[in-house]
Amino acid sequence: MTVRKLSPSPRRTLGKRHTELLAGCAATVLLTVTACGGGTASTTTKDGFAQVPQKDGALTVWVDATRMEAAEQYQRLHPDVKLDIVSYDGDANGSNYLQTKVQLFNRTGKGWPDVVFSSQNNEASWAVDADFAAPLDKGLIPESTLGRFSKGANDVCTVDGTLYCLRNDLSQAVLWYNAPLLKKFGYTVPTTWEEYRQLGEKVSEEHPGYLVGDAGDSFTPEIYLWAGKCGANHITGPKSVSVNTTSEACTRMAGLLDVLIKNKSMSTSGVFSTDFGKNQADKVLLMPGPAWYGGAVFKDTLKVPAKQIAAAPVPQWQGENAPSTGNVGGGTWLLSRHSTHIKAATEFLKWVTTDNAYQGEKAPGFPAYAPASEAWLKGQAASGYFAGDLSALAAASSQVWPEWGSGRFSQEAIWAATVKPGITQGKSIVSMLPAWQDSIVKYARANGYKVAQ
Amino acid sequence: MPTETPAGPAAAPPRTEREPNAMSRAHHQARQRRRPRAPRRLVPRLLTGSVLLVFTVFFVLPVLWLVLAATKTDQQLVHGSPLSFGSWHAFRTNWDRLTAFQDNAVLQWLGNSTSYALISLVITLCVAVPAGYALAMTEFRGRHTLLVSTLVVMLMPTATLVVPLFLEINAVHLIGTMWSIILPYSFYPFGVYLTYIYFSTAVPRDLLAAARMDGCSEFGVFRHIALPLATPVIALVGFFSFVANWTNYFLPYVMLPESDQMPVQVGVGSLLSNVPSFNPAVGTLAIERPQLALATLLAITPVLIVFLFAQRFLVSGMLAGATKE
Amino acid sequence: MTLTHSPAGSAARRRRGAARQSRAGTAFVAAYVLLLIAFGILPTGYAVYFAFTDAGGTFTGFANFIDTAQDFRFMDAVGHVALYLLFWLVSLVVFVVALALLLHRLASGAVSKSLRFLFYIPGALAGAASVLVWLFMLDPAVSPVSSLLGMLGFHTFGEVIAPGNLPLLFTIIAFWTGAGGWIVVIHGALDNIPRDVMEAARIDGAGAWQTAWRVQIPMLRKWIVYMVILAFAGGAQLFVEPQLLSLASVGVAGRDYSLNQLTYDFAFQMNNVNGAAAVSVELLVVSVSAAAVFVARSRFFDAD
Repeated sequence: MTVRKLSPSPRRTLGKRHTELLAGCAATVLLTVTACGGGTASTTTKDGFAQVPQKDGALTVWVDATRMEAAEQYQRLHPDVKLDIVSYDGDANGSNYLQTKVQLFNRTGKGWPDVVFSSQNNEASWAVDADFAAPLDKGLIPESTLGRFSKGANDVCTVDGTLYCLRNDLSQAVLWYNAPLLKKFGYTVPTTWEEYRQLGEKVSEEHPGYLVGDAGDSFTPEIYLWAGKCGANHITGPKSVSVNTTSEACTRMAGLLDVLIKNKSMSTSGVFSTDFGKNQADKVLLMPGPAWYGGAVFKDTLKVPAKQIAAAPVPQWQGENAPSTGNVGGGTWLLSRHSTHIKAATEFLKWVTTDNAYQGEKAPGFPAYAPASEAWLKGQAASGYFAGDLSALAAASSQVWPEWGSGRFSQEAIWAATVKPGITQGKSIVSMLPAWQDSIVKYARANGYKVAQ
Repeated sequence: MPTETPAGPAAAPPRTEREPNAMSRAHHQARQRRRPRAPRRLVPRLLTGSVLLVFTVFFVLPVLWLVLAATKTDQQLVHGSPLSFGSWHAFRTNWDRLTAFQDNAVLQWLGNSTSYALISLVITLCVAVPAGYALAMTEFRGRHTLLVSTLVVMLMPTATLVVPLFLEINAVHLIGTMWSIILPYSFYPFGVYLTYIYFSTAVPRDLLAAARMDGCSEFGVFRHIALPLATPVIALVGFFSFVANWTNYFLPYVMLPESDQMPVQVGVGSLLSNVPSFNPAVGTLAIERPQLALATLLAITPVLIVFLFAQRFLVSGMLAGATKE
Repeated sequence: MTLTHSPAGSAARRRRGAARQSRAGTAFVAAYVLLLIAFGILPTGYAVYFAFTDAGGTFTGFANFIDTAQDFRFMDAVGHVALYLLFWLVSLVVFVVALALLLHRLASGAVSKSLRFLFYIPGALAGAASVLVWLFMLDPAVSPVSSLLGMLGFHTFGEVIAPGNLPLLFTIIAFWTGAGGWIVVIHGALDNIPRDVMEAARIDGAGAWQTAWRVQIPMLRKWIVYMVILAFAGGAQLFVEPQLLSLASVGVAGRDYSLNQLTYDFAFQMNNVNGAAAVSVELLVVSVSAAAVFVARSRFFDAD
């Protein structure tokens, strides 16, 4: 079936006189006006959306610097595919780069990447409205493949029952620790948050300078407060959110952080800061953090030698029967519905999210595709970098507390702007919880969410 | 500069009275050199010296650091002394890694910047010099209005207009083409004003009148009399236009969404997001800080070179040339 | 302002040439007028049109202005920009004038010349480059002045970029890139003060300080006002500094900081170009009124 394609973005209706004025001016001033449309190419409805005529040519892939390796590996394995790899910030910390650019491309009617990686989980929330993301479960990716992703992994990609992106990796938080150091100090891995706090207090007295964690990054709320079941970000519908940052669950965890920050066993620098790398890199005893910390933080950034870092389950509050943990990002892949190389784009997308050659063997994070995650765990064990196995990761992958969602606004950006400066100034997190709530509510409303408090 | 103002900070401030001719300026400068110096005491002298020293350090140190940073490894940058020289080897490595980033993206950005800045420079000169000349030396309907509008627009920062400009350019389907920034760049009221001031002060009207008497056409007067006299102001307008266009960030940031079209200013900004310490989500294959410093250095080199060539007129106050009484 | 055209040559010659001149003059300015319309007047008109209509093109009065002013970030952004402008303009006036006076009194012309050039150099780093350089200057871990930062109580980058410090930091960056140019200009203006005036002050026994305060600064007033107007217009447009700082500080500082960032947000993230246009128009009205008052009152731009 052939339909007339609508213009990619709702174009503004201008007054006739106005348009004439513009046209006249353009004709006289502009030396070379390349007539360009973005209006009337004929499209074919297939796989659940209107596809533009398919062409040969380079496949444009946008990745962040970490996923550059994946794209380059694909290029090596498929030398016949023409790839145009572009690196961008991956939308880290809610930079909204992708969203802004897509809005611009929507106006120009060209320029969209065919496949794009984002380190954020909330891209589907706007990419569907912006008419950018193609539906994936309507024919592009077979059900047999989709069914083998870890349970719930693609929830963040689902809008109104349709799947619009594929999860790259799960970023369930675990408790990373330095096994030989812990042993040397004569401590054991804490299993409850109460034990964790006691250990922090002990460390600050017995081994001042050593760290049991870091609360300086913008993903602090996702590591600690999410794991502690703080209801700061409960997305209850496509445009509704429930926010309550002053509940018992929130204040208890915030209070724990405050104690440890005060006695300096918890850093407030942020693990990627120059300061941390320079002064605290060799002081990490324990560090709650997402799955990808293992490679990205300990191995690559802090350059911790092999056979030291191990993973344990994130502690639980005493008396808690269902274990829960948080999640930090974990990246998603989107496919553009404007792509003129849908076949090649789909091939790439399938490969990059499921193939063992990348996800199983090379990926820095815990693959969202379950068969790949098994291979990945084996590979990690075989690489010999970690002290002990990473089975804690596998267990945690199904323990992420489900009542923390991925809205259109960036929780990381809000925390960074609202709470982080206060922590730097020495304010307690508990005292800033109301301000945090206030800020979340404002951003949610500005993004058109209905907020329940 | 916070954002791109149409007139740079070194905008030649206009003047009140008209200068009779260029001769008196030279005479004036000669007088300046003979100006007697008052004898001074030691304490104010020391004070002057230390204030100037502090500010010299303030202005020069970051530039010096930037140059040195490009010669270091990331390790040296963090752990070594900030003002030490790294090694040529590290510089070489930084260069290789920087150029390897997205297949020579940096060189492409530099090429983009060059073509954007130069094409708009040419258009600016072709448009601004005749306009300034006409405003100063001829009489035509609407001259007064045009002069006033030029002054107002000159003081009006272009950055405010970026969003409406985007919509306008979008309406004529030029977004994403190089014209979307070259044409706005080419509109340079400050250049017109500078030319206007120059002609109305430095070129005597009687000279033109005489040429007209000899039967020169208006265009002939411009071509044979005015233009040869205008070389200094052409250089001046060219200088300001080039620097303003080269350093512009906001306009290309909005108008040119595709990364292979970026000018180097925007490109360097996007490199920032590939540096792990500024963007935790990136991993091992990222750009490191010394490479970012090198990219910054590359981005400013053309302007630095222009500065060096323009040094004589910059400090001699010739950029305020038309301003002397 | 007065823009009376002074006659050139005799009246007879003028009559003969007038028509020819008028045609030629029009031809000479034609291209410029087109650009002026396309990139000066039309975008302004376009902004006004969008500011007073909704997405469907219907006239909405001041609704866009009210809506954007009620956005929770708007008043904050106004406050940020106002504070930054205060710091920036005060520092510009005080230090630029003081440095120009000092350089002007310098016995050695060569030293004065070299210093002016050195001060001018950071101008080459305008825009993104200046922010990148200062990100390093302000990070105690790598800064060459980390001991100075330490003395001021800043030990981590996070402490340096605390929200309260931002106006000052942006001022430092703007001053670093912009002041050199203005020092050259004010220095040029000092050269222009007639020798007789300075001589008279000297004969009256005025010292350096008194000469500066009573003679030089009053005579520089117009130039200072001009500098302030341009710096004000530029400063109100703050964009690249907070934008890049926000990126570099992983969102801690600089997000939604300035009004221009807000217009960008409205236009390209919230898809609300009408709101963006409303904020643009507000900025435009402020800077154009400042410019208009200056043009009309200062006699600075007397054309003929």
